[in-house]
Amino acid sequence: MRDVAIIGAGMIPFGRRDEDSLMDMLAWAGLKALDDAGLGDGGVDALYVANMGSGILQHQTGLASALADRISLLPAAADGIENGPASGASAVKNGLLAIASGYYDTVLVVGGEKMREVTGWRATDFVATMTHPTAEYVYGVTLPGMAGMFTRLYMEKYGVTREMLVSIALKNQAMGALNPYAHVEMALSKDGIFDNPAAVVNNPLAADPLHLYDACPVSDGAAAVVLTALDKVKNPAKPTVVIAGFGQATDTHTLQEREDPTDLKAVTLAAQQAFERAKLKPADINVAELHDAFTILEIAESEHVGFFKKGEGGKAALAGKTRFGSQIPINVSGGLKARGHPVGATGVAQIVDIVWQLRHELPKERQVKDAKNGLTVNFGGFGNNVLAFVLRRVEA
Amino acid sequence: MKKTEIAIIAYKCKNCGKLHYPYHDRCLACKKREFEKVKPQGNVRLLTFTRIYNLPWGFDVRYLTIGVVEFENGVRAMGRIDVDESYPLETGLIMKPTWAPVRVKYGENEYGLMLEPFH
Repeated sequence: MRDVAIIGAGMIPFGRRDEDSLMDMLAWAGLKALDDAGLGDGGVDALYVANMGSGILQHQTGLASALADRISLLPAAADGIENGPASGASAVKNGLLAIASGYYDTVLVVGGEKMREVTGWRATDFVATMTHPTAEYVYGVTLPGMAGMFTRLYMEKYGVTREMLVSIALKNQAMGALNPYAHVEMALSKDGIFDNPAAVVNNPLAADPLHLYDACPVSDGAAAVVLTALDKVKNPAKPTVVIAGFGQATDTHTLQEREDPTDLKAVTLAAQQAFERAKLKPADINVAELHDAFTILEIAESEHVGFFKKGEGGKAALAGKTRFGSQIPINVSGGLKARGHPVGATGVAQIVDIVWQLRHELPKERQVKDAKNGLTVNFGGFGNNVLAFVLRRVEA
Repeated sequence: MKKTEIAIIAYKCKNCGKLHYPYHDRCLACKKREFEKVKPQGNVRLLTFTRIYNLPWGFDVRYLTIGVVEFENGVRAMGRIDVDESYPLETGLIMKPTWAPVRVKYGENEYGLMLEPFH
């Protein structure tokens, strides 16, 4: 198996991009990554395109072939990857394996989604199609609804409070306000969404006990990375970042069939595999991008990957232990909560943000000092397919 | 079958006894492939619930209340809870299960598990 480096990273600002087609966004992010890699006009053996719903939302299929043509990668191999909200990380995994196996030398991975093209209730329905058709979807359950039921159980079992959830929203939106790629560049005040009795107007219930500001926005966006065999990297212009480890695991389709629905087994297993392959421990991680589609998920994932003991994640967040400049900075990009969640793009965007961190390229108000190791967790379904990556900066 | 009968079928693994709903081709615990069909029995206990205000396409109502319940014989399922917004739901509540329309698709009712408190 060969070691794999990420030599290019690119992203377009997430948000509502009414003027841009899905293919525009994929092309622009892909070209940014290629330019960042300094590849010039050639050298890509294969393209992997992550997307969850263009067949439903844009009535367009065959994205990978179309993108290979659009950005003139022909005759490179091209495949589309659909794995729900974990499509992005799945596409990166496929690129990694293709290079590690020796089959290809250089791969472009692009993830993108255009969700604002349809009304909110159409977008909500589209995301809900990943629930079980006859045992869940038929009832009108949504992903916020699944998260609401999970949150209630987590609160009852571990004493997570609304104030802890609010602390995640405040932290991530404060960081998003510093991130020009974020969908929501707006810091929140605790008074405005929690303390003041009138906060219920700003922050109404969305899926009890979760409120509006516990959820990520519905976004358009795209992100891309270029992977290559580490032994092919000669005199790099930028610090080299390698994929030190990855892990992936699945869990039951329905929440009800989990023995303990608060136990996100796939998160634990994916992270354990990633740490084992990287020969690192959670304590070695300097910066993490966790899948905070809902505030409760950042708390739960911070425990399941091993940063905190079960039941301690909410207290740690409230105490500021996951803020920028603290013990383990989580979602310095603003996370899904502020950067946004164009579902097919998210897993790739998390990796782009960590690459920028490990290259020490970010402005000082977002750059984790001397960051060497980073973790990403991309959470598919409601935890039924999870991927984790450990990235490492290679010192010259 | 009358539309009011609960049309959920659970599957008990003949090898290890694990109860499944919905259907799987192999047991999630021991991977064997033979199952005994089990009908849910008795009332249900509410395990968790939510009230959803941002609804998906196809629901022209202000909110939906949805929960996961366990029947007296251990079968677990999701269902719609038929209560108004002010009803003091709490986990552990014992409710009566029925089978009723839960969604309209292409002009036809789709039936599912409807849950009512005993008041």
